[in-house]
Amino acid sequence: MNSAGNITGRVMAYRQGITKHFNLSEANLRLQEENVSLRRQLPISYIPLQSGMVKINDTLYRQQFDYIPSVVLNSTHDKQNNFLTINVGDFQGVEIGMGVFNGQGAVGYVFDVSNHYAIVKTLISDNPNLDVFLPNGAFGLLKWDGKSSKEVYITGIANDIEVNIGDEVRTRGSRGHFPRGILVGRVSSFDVLEGNPLWDLRVELAVDYRKITDAYVIKNLQKAEFDNLEISKE
Amino acid sequence: MKNKLVFYIVLFVALITSQILIFNQLELGYGVHIMIYPMFILLLPFDIRPVTLMVIAFFTGITIDWFTNSFGLHTSSAVLLAYLRPRLFSILEPRDGYDSLKTPLIRDMGRSWFMTIYLIGLVIHHFWFFLIEVFKLYEILFILQKTILSSIFSFLTILLIQVVFFSKQKEL
Repeated sequence: MNSAGNITGRVMAYRQGITKHFNLSEANLRLQEENVSLRRQLPISYIPLQSGMVKINDTLYRQQFDYIPSVVLNSTHDKQNNFLTINVGDFQGVEIGMGVFNGQGAVGYVFDVSNHYAIVKTLISDNPNLDVFLPNGAFGLLKWDGKSSKEVYITGIANDIEVNIGDEVRTRGSRGHFPRGILVGRVSSFDVLEGNPLWDLRVELAVDYRKITDAYVIKNLQKAEFDNLEISKE
Repeated sequence: MKNKLVFYIVLFVALITSQILIFNQLELGYGVHIMIYPMFILLLPFDIRPVTLMVIAFFTGITIDWFTNSFGLHTSSAVLLAYLRPRLFSILEPRDGYDSLKTPLIRDMGRSWFMTIYLIGLVIHHFWFFLIEVFKLYEILFILQKTILSSIFSFLTILLIQVVFFSKQKEL
């Protein structure tokens, strides 16, 4: 009984068909920015420094992550649990628990799936519990206090670790939902937590949930292998 | 009787659609969440039986929940409002009881009746909704802020709807 259902999904898709034009230009700009940052990484953007040198790529890679593009049909940001409805589902290969991100940063997890739609539980929900790390390697869990759709906090970082305002917070990928290093946000303030040897770290989210129009679902091709190994450890 | 049934079905569809497609998309900040569907529960006929009322409220709530991913929050508050409605109405009951030909509208019942019943009803509904949505007692001030602000906005919206769509010219 949620908006991934057949009827509800269709109503939301119909509504999105009308309202998508309102933020089209802004959505385009954001996609363009993302394209530019990806283009910068292409070999075509680089010139060889020495003409005599040839670069040999001698490492073999295997693809670990695949991405399923999707359009956000419905979203909230001012409830205590905020969900997105996206237009991809079981038939496109979406499964419960997959990570979701967009050009700005990490968005959330897939919470429920129907044939053609899926519900994403955003980071601004009760206990998102995303594993994140700071540039110096310290890691903790992401939490939300239900107040602002722009700010979350991290628990579990000891207050003898040096932290700076503006530090990038990225996904640690320790549960296989996200690749390591997807941007989550930046440290906006930190304070000593009373009675605990921990920082009260406030993080400004990279994603603006008020303007979210598109998202990618992350498919980890080695999830089964990863899970098997993690279970055998216990 | 048949007229009334058609009226309530049209009202149900109109209120649910506008709640889902318009008011749920409005995000005004400061925890303001406009809910107009409680009006449907308050508008049901005076002579309706309490059990029927609660069943209708249940379906109203679950329809909203279905579209907003709130898993029973609206259902619970709608049923609570339906449960308390007979008690609420008895506060301002006329000496001879309510006239079953009338509808609980501002047009039929007058301004002071409307103000009292709707405001109390909305505050109860909203308070219960935000209490179980936030579900933390130490956030009681936040809950109260949301309740008071949302009740005011919901009340004004409902008042506007009643004044615009249920004026005296359009008799049922």
